[in-house]
Amino acid sequence: MKVLVLLSAGRHPASGRAGPVPVELAAVRLGASLGGADLAGLHAGPDADAVADALGHGLARLHLQPLAPDADPLGALEAAVRRLAPDLVLAGNRGQGGEDAGLLPYALAARLGRPIVADAVALASDGDGLVAEQALGRGARRRVELALPAVVTVHPSAPPPLPFAFGRRRSGTIERLPAFAADAPAPAAPFEERPYRKRPKLIAKAAAGASAADRLKAATEAASGGGRVLVAPDPAEAAAEILAHLRAIGVLKR
Amino acid sequence: MTPAPTLALLVLILAALAVAQALRRARLWRRGRPAHVDWLAGLKALPRRYLHDVHDVVARDPYAARMHAIAAGGLITASVLGVFGLVPALGHSPVYGALLALAFAAALAGGVMVGRRRSPVKPARLSGGRFRLVPPALTAYAGGGLLVGIAILAGPGFAALGWLGVALAAAGAAVLVYLLGDGPMRHVFAGALHLAAHPRSDRFEGGRETALHPVDLAAPQKLGAETPADFAWNRLLGFDACIQCGRCEVACPAFAAGQPLNPKKLIQDLVGSLAPGGAPYAGSPYPNARPVAGVGGPELPIVGLGAMVHPDTIWSCTTCRACVEECPMMIEHVDAIVDLRRFQTMELGAVPEKAVQPLLDLRQAEEPGGRALAARGDFAAGLALPKIQDRPAEARPAEVLLWLGEGAYDLRYGRTLRALVRLLGAAQVDFAVLGAEERDCGDLARRLGDEATFQDLARANIATLSRHRFGRILTADPHALHVIRNEYPAFGGHLEVVHHSSFLDELVAGGRLAVGDLGAALPGAVTYHDPCYLGRYNGETEAPRRLLDRLGLERREMARSGKRSMCCGGGGGAPVADIEGERRIPDLRMGQASETGAAIVAVACPTCTAMLEGVTGARPEVRDIAELLLAAVEAAPPAAAPARQRQPEPVA
Repeated sequence: MKVLVLLSAGRHPASGRAGPVPVELAAVRLGASLGGADLAGLHAGPDADAVADALGHGLARLHLQPLAPDADPLGALEAAVRRLAPDLVLAGNRGQGGEDAGLLPYALAARLGRPIVADAVALASDGDGLVAEQALGRGARRRVELALPAVVTVHPSAPPPLPFAFGRRRSGTIERLPAFAADAPAPAAPFEERPYRKRPKLIAKAAAGASAADRLKAATEAASGGGRVLVAPDPAEAAAEILAHLRAIGVLKR
Repeated sequence: MTPAPTLALLVLILAALAVAQALRRARLWRRGRPAHVDWLAGLKALPRRYLHDVHDVVARDPYAARMHAIAAGGLITASVLGVFGLVPALGHSPVYGALLALAFAAALAGGVMVGRRRSPVKPARLSGGRFRLVPPALTAYAGGGLLVGIAILAGPGFAALGWLGVALAAAGAAVLVYLLGDGPMRHVFAGALHLAAHPRSDRFEGGRETALHPVDLAAPQKLGAETPADFAWNRLLGFDACIQCGRCEVACPAFAAGQPLNPKKLIQDLVGSLAPGGAPYAGSPYPNARPVAGVGGPELPIVGLGAMVHPDTIWSCTTCRACVEECPMMIEHVDAIVDLRRFQTMELGAVPEKAVQPLLDLRQAEEPGGRALAARGDFAAGLALPKIQDRPAEARPAEVLLWLGEGAYDLRYGRTLRALVRLLGAAQVDFAVLGAEERDCGDLARRLGDEATFQDLARANIATLSRHRFGRILTADPHALHVIRNEYPAFGGHLEVVHHSSFLDELVAGGRLAVGDLGAALPGAVTYHDPCYLGRYNGETEAPRRLLDRLGLERREMARSGKRSMCCGGGGGAPVADIEGERRIPDLRMGQASETGAAIVAVACPTCTAMLEGVTGARPEVRDIAELLLAAVEAAPPAAAPARQRQPEPVA
């Protein structure tokens, strides 16, 4: 199986220094856990300085898709993935220190016409396909089977990255892919950057003035999903239930 | 033919066989990496190194010192005298016979003393096995020689006694030769050659060469040591010099805590890896030893479940150097452990699980906690902590640059640093800090074998330090002190570093700080815990004690103090490696402090502070010497205090 891990140039949240993103290094480990997989990294950018340390975390090869610093990487990544034709593309569920929107894997999957599974914490190959364990809220896990080729993003609660080994970084190789004619500069970020300011914490209205136990209950229950669990329901019953829920939360007006 | 020349021939054969055994062994050492050895200087210094450095260590056990002097001195003198039996005129000389008998009698007494050491019960630190053959072999050889001497002295009628002596000596000599190649007697030639070809030639004659040697990261060979052949040849020679006296195992804090490390067994495992199938080890095992396959060879891995040494063994070490300090054969255990760690970390990425994140943060944030470097000064909230970047360009260089170190992020240790900063203020010391430009010194990365990250940090720090103007560096962290003072020079950073204990002692001695009597305010005695990286690594044991004595406190010494102090368990990355044992090292050390009856343990290191403060239950209080000094300065009578009026602060 050919596995390609997308690596972005991250920034350490405290130091601001350029370096690989931990969740992408965790993706490298998941890729390596598939056993016998032909594992390589892919970075689109002017150079591989920021991501080269990934070679010390269990990656033997790294492809660099040369790209102007401010260009939109989507097209370049699409071209590189088509050229390298991996069975599985792994990515972190979001970057670190950039826009960190977590949208790129979806956009890339859409461009490639591949299915995407988000927030994997474990992978296992299963014949021609793949079994992924997905991280859901509150520690829940869901096992999904998917056919390859596919795109899978990795969740931060996946096993931590393999330890850094300088000798492996030293012996790892970086291969430059042919230059890509950038189709467009990255769209200007539709937001501005401001220093972070801590917001005052709001106490849930229902619990304000209530006992400590009530406030705790309100704080913890607010996050729970509610709803009903239907096991193997009749399609018509299921549809009716979905419609009722959508009406209840105001998505459908009638 | 008479007994005298026969004995002489026997001695010559023994010597020839000894040389043959040594050459056979040297073929094994040559499988190691090449090393530059100044043979001329080494051989010239050999007698001094032996009589001075080795003897100083051996003499800590007076019985062993007497035993070795009599046994070895007698054996060598007697054997050399024995060779003179070839001179026909001496073969019947009563004077020669008497001298020979005297020398062999000394060797015999030595042999008996060697035997008595293991009887009736062998002390735990000594080895059994082939070591049990040494006393009978020695006594047979010496006793036989004695008989020959007596026979010569007694005259021609006693030749039969002489022949009996020759036979006895030959039997003893045969066993000694056997033990010379693969047994306890190997230490004779390996130890002597090790002294001459020692990898740290500057550690002798009062010198202290304690800095780890750098790794050439650009060299094509593998990083660190995987197999015995990856060690320099004179390191392999050093392992062979081990006489298994077990002084290291008695001193080792990890051994005492029941962690799977025994320096003596580790050295024997390295010997066993180089020469599989040698003499079986018959000393104390690794406590709670983890199972390994026990397969080794000159080109086979040393560390691993399928090899000779379990990884937990090398990660248990606190790099406290107590074993090196106690070793009479001058073996460098810590160097060997760090070399093994370097391969595990840099080639395999096989570091202990809890050490992964600190090493990653050191790489990405230049700080093992991944915290902002600018937050290092947060402990000083409300105190003046002048930054060196804010000094006007035309100002004279700062008197000292205060290196805050890793402890600055720790809440407990922040109290110590606040005391230090207030003392600097009270003494009107012109000091400054690096602020956000101070990175971690790299100690943790280096001890955990991540030489690459260490070298990055060292070069970055040296570049930063060379940009600023200051007199010397002041630090309260002995680990930073050691790294900057002793290990940065290899990377071009030649900086003068002073520990806060010495600096504060200077301030008090120079009258810049007026000190009151703490005796009344702090009843009870104080005992000082020497940090390994200050005492053993840098030889600074006096200044902290002098300073404590100035405070009017009753000072008591723990059984292990000064250069022979016991580690707190916090060095060498051991807290992040966190190898399970039966006890905790700081608990053991705190127990030793409690035994003195002291009410306060004085410390001088952030790591010692953290480790000893973590001890639960009733115990002496942990106070840094800066905190104690501040209390004494505050207790000084107002007249003696510098007449400096504080400006009243505006009140909102």
